[in-house]
Order: sequence, then structure tokens, then C-alpha cells
Amino acid sequence: MALKITNLLASAAIVLAGTSAAQAQNVLNVVSGGSENMVDYVTDYLGPLFEEQNPGWTVKVVGTGAGDAGSQTIMEKLVAQSGNDAWDTDVVVVTQLKAGEMVTDGLLQAYVGDIATGKLATRDTAKVALGTNVEGYVMPMFHSQTAIAYNPDVVANPPKSFDELKAWTAEHPGAFGYNGIKNGMSGVAFTTGWMYAYAGNADQLMNGPYDPELKANWDKALADLKAFNENVTFTPGNAGTLDMMNRGEIVMGPVWVDMFYTWQADGRLNPNLKLLLPEPGMPGQPYYYAIPAKAANAEAARKFIELATSPEVQAEGIVKRFNWYPGIDAQHVESALDKATWDKLFTDVTPADLAAKGKPFPLGPFFDDIREAYEVKVSN
Amino acid sequence: MLSRRASLILIAPAVVLLGLLFLYPLSYSLIWAFSDEELGGWGLQNFIKAWGLYSRDVLFTLIIVTLSTLIIGAVSVAIGGYLTLGENRVALAVLRTLYRWPLFIPFVVSAQLMRTFLAKNGMMNNIITSTGLMDPLAATSFLDWRGIVITFVWKQTPFVALLVAGAMAALDRSTIEAARNLGARRLRILLGIVVPQVGTTLMVGLILSYVVMMSVLSVPLMINAQTPTMITVDMAWRINAYSDYGVANALGFITYAMTAVIAWIYLRQGVREGGRPQ
Repeated sequence: MALKITNLLASAAIVLAGTSAAQAQNVLNVVSGGSENMVDYVTDYLGPLFEEQNPGWTVKVVGTGAGDAGSQTIMEKLVAQSGNDAWDTDVVVVTQLKAGEMVTDGLLQAYVGDIATGKLATRDTAKVALGTNVEGYVMPMFHSQTAIAYNPDVVANPPKSFDELKAWTAEHPGAFGYNGIKNGMSGVAFTTGWMYAYAGNADQLMNGPYDPELKANWDKALADLKAFNENVTFTPGNAGTLDMMNRGEIVMGPVWVDMFYTWQADGRLNPNLKLLLPEPGMPGQPYYYAIPAKAANAEAARKFIELATSPEVQAEGIVKRFNWYPGIDAQHVESALDKATWDKLFTDVTPADLAAKGKPFPLGPFFDDIREAYEVKVSN
Repeated sequence: MLSRRASLILIAPAVVLLGLLFLYPLSYSLIWAFSDEELGGWGLQNFIKAWGLYSRDVLFTLIIVTLSTLIIGAVSVAIGGYLTLGENRVALAVLRTLYRWPLFIPFVVSAQLMRTFLAKNGMMNNIITSTGLMDPLAATSFLDWRGIVITFVWKQTPFVALLVAGAMAALDRSTIEAARNLGARRLRILLGIVVPQVGTTLMVGLILSYVVMMSVLSVPLMINAQTPTMITVDMAWRINAYSDYGVANALGFITYAMTAVIAWIYLRQGVREGGRPQ
């Protein structure tokens, strides 16, 4: 008991200390619903840059973890303080699904029209997030894409499509691995790609309109996926897939492109591994910068995002240092980068591949239906 | 003697904390589990859905946690028993130093350790293969239910062993010596004399471990790539993927029910000993 009270007092002291520091100096609070590298991006690169350009400001960033789980935490934090006049969160970095929910719930403010870089992001993902209109509320921080990683030393002629992959796994049971749907987004992305390939109505899944009856036609695709799963190895998470490829336990599996390149650049992954985007394609997603509706430092938050989405920062930070695809339109970034760096990003997956086979995730309600159908008919 | 008022004031902080941090969220969670969001009002909708989708996971959780608890009990008694009855001084010193280490390692770190240790081409199999005891092709991955059990046992045994060894050390040694004088072997002394006397402590340690293991998310999430999986993973999944607190809370309720049975045993034990749960 005594320990509990001591803990409580200690946390209260930390909160008080935090508040008084905030009064002494201006603090911009950034909450990133991303993995470790997205927090590092702000602590190591973007934060110091902003502080240098804006004396008197300190950027404080916390990470809430990757995927929708991390963004869900941010959303809960905003909802919890929605009765207050000023919220303690100035900039949030969130996933598509949760950005849509936050806009619908009125938790974000429109700011894109007020910043100079607002016109540089014109891709459809800057306007629509899984079927929800988010135009004006979000700026893409970067785009990320899933692809199939494979080991060319073992697989000389990798399968180029889902059909070929199906045949290949039947011949090589256990050599392909993915993380199901509960253990990270690369597995969800693979499942989504499977549904685009076999469930029919792929366009409607991506662009709407939502039709709750559509899922009645998925039985065949899901039964096939269940049969396919008999021949695969399940991996524990996005990093788990890469780990298992590294140890030679599997030779092929879906991964996030940025994670793949970053691990390779850090020497944590077999440098020979390669990527490919199978027909008819796999999904990717942007992460969004957004400003909470009652952010205490909205003015500084706009400045911060303006800096973060400027062509120079997108080139140096997003593409060069962190291996993400740019958030703003590519042509603005390409001119700010040397050709070698730019080409490195597109070694295995070419811009043409991306344009043809880089898909968005499905509409929110379809996405729920797909995941639940997987739970009921594939993993149950 | 303290006056009635003074004792009330003394327990007030504890009661307030318990109310705010435990009872309030608990009742909130119960209300959420039993409310029907689609039709409004009360209903069992969330439970029907939870059971339909995750009944296998509930059973899996029960089996995994029970099995782990039993193994933890056996290993802790073995460790505590050797510390009390062992005679090799070097072995005693080594065991005493080593057995507590996992106690200070968080579950998430244990899971990460085990994830690379137990993998098909992980450290454990590599060591076994390099000694020539196993053919590399025969290596299998332990990253399934076995991995969860191994991690739980590795992480929780020191806690129970610490309690049990403490209780054993506090025993009146004359009973042990008496048994020894009559020619009883060490195993016989352990099971016939020592364990019955520390039964309550062992039980308390195991019950606390059971409850802790029921609540761990990181271990099944990071180690078990298969289905079925543990309830905690499903709860996180319902919330993160669907923002579905209803079914998540229904799963939470099922978890309470599973721990309540154990808590009841714990309390009954306490009442039998004169209203003093340890």
C-alpha cells in the first residue's frame, strides 16, 4: 500500500514538473501512433530541426505504438480530454482508419488550407481515408507499401502473382510465412491482397459504395485461403516475418517496404533479400499528420507540419534517412534529391509497379467485414 | 488499541484507491459487457458473439494457464526443496544466486528473449544441433503453445520459488531432523514433511501467478503465431481492429469468471485460517 501511495505521489510530482517546464518554455507535444522508427524520426531529425528554426520551442514526442492500436490510444486520449478548453496534444500522427474516425467524431481541426505545403499533396489518400472524407484535416507524413520479400538464393523464380504463389506454396509447404491478421498489419495487408485477387468487386471494396451483402460472395475466396494456410508458416508479427527470413526458417513473406529497407540499411537483414509486388497488387497506407480540434499550440503545430511536409524535409528525412515513400506528391520530392538515393528507393518495386499494383486498404466497413470473415471462416 | 474512527481513517486511502482504480473500472466494464449497442438496453449479444468467435481461445487460455501453474508449482517445490534439504554447498550457492534472475525481467522482455531462443533456427536448436545431438533438419519451432508455457514457467517460477523457499526456511527443522533420524530419504521428507507445512504459501504463490498469467498480453502476442491464441490477444484485437469494446468487455468478464473461481479458493483458505488471507 505504502508503495502504491509513493508511486502516486511520484507520478503527481512528474506531472507537476512537466507543467511548470511547459510554462517556462514553449513545448510542442507530438504524439506519434507509429513504431519506434517513427518516434526516432521526430526525436533525432524533425524535432531538432524545428527547434533550430523556432527558438524558444521544444518538441516533445511520445510514441503509442504501431498500427491502429497506437492510433486508438491517441483517440482515447483526445476523447478523454474533450471536455477541456485546451488539449495537451498539438500534433498527432495517425493511421488512415483512425484518422477517418477522428474526423467523423470532430476530434481534429481543418488546417491544410492554412499551410504553404497544403497544395503539394494531391494523391487520393490525402483526401479520402478508407472511404471517409478527410480533405483539409490531414497531410500524409509518408506512404508505406507492403510487398512480398523473398530470398533469391533459394527462390530463383519467385511467384509473380497470387495464383502462382498458391501453386508455389503447395509445392513448398511451410516456406512462405505470414503473420495472420491479429499479429500486425503486414499479415492483414496480405489477406487484403488475397481478397482483392479472389473475392471479386475489388474496385468496390476500395472505393465503395459499401454494401453489407457483398460478404455473402466471399466463401470461396476464404475457403481457398484456409486451404492455402495449411501450407504456410505463421510468423509472430511484422518483425517476426523478417526475423524468420533472416534465420532461413522461411524464404518468402509479406513485409512493409520501409521496414525492409531500414533493416537492410542497418545491417539487420540479409542484404540479398529482394522485394516484389505480386499481381493484382497489395495494399499500402499513408500515415497522417493531423492537429487535434482544441490543440493548445495550434499555430506552432501548423508550422511544424508545414516544415515536415516541405519538399526538403520529405527528401532528406522521409526518403533518404528512413526509406519511406514521400507523403507529398513525388515530383516535388524528386527534384530535391540526388538520383542515386531516389533510385535506391525503387530498386525492386518500380514507380510503374507502385502505380499499377499499390492499392489502398478497403473501405472501413468492408475492412471490418474482411477481418471478421477471416476470423469466422479461416482461423476458426 | 486504535479507536474505530482512527482505524477507518487509516484504511481510507486504501479503500479509495481500490474503489477508484479497481472497482470503478470493473463496474464500467461489466456495464459495457452487458449492454447491447445495436438495439440499446441490456442483452447478451456481446457474449454470444464472443463465445461464437473465441470459445476455443477461452479453452486454450484455461489449459495454458492451468498447465503453466502446475509446472511452476512442481519446479518451485523442487527449487525450494533443494535449497532447504540440499547438501552440496556449491550447487546450493549457484542455485540460490541464479534462480531469482527471471523475477526482474519484464514479461515483454522475456517474450522477446524466448522469441529468438525458441525459434526453429533459434539459439536453443542451434546449440543442440552443434553438439551433434540433433539433425538440423529435425529442428522444430517452439513458437506455439509450448513457447507460451515455457515463457510463463521461466518468468513466474522464481516468484513462487522465492515465497516457497522462504516458508521452507522458516520451518521448525526438528521435524525434518526427526524424519532424517528415522531414515527417511530426502524426496520423502520433501513431499511428506516439508510441502504439507508450506502448502498455504505455495497455494498463494500459485494463485497469484495464475491471475498474473491470465492478464499477460505480450507473451502470447509475441510468441504464439498460431490459432487458437489467448483471450488477452482477442481483447486487444477487438478494440484495435474494430473499436468494439462490447465484445472485448464480454471477454474480460469471462476472464474475471475464470479468475474468480481461483480467488474464491484463495479467500476460503483465508477464512479457514481465521480470516487472515496471507
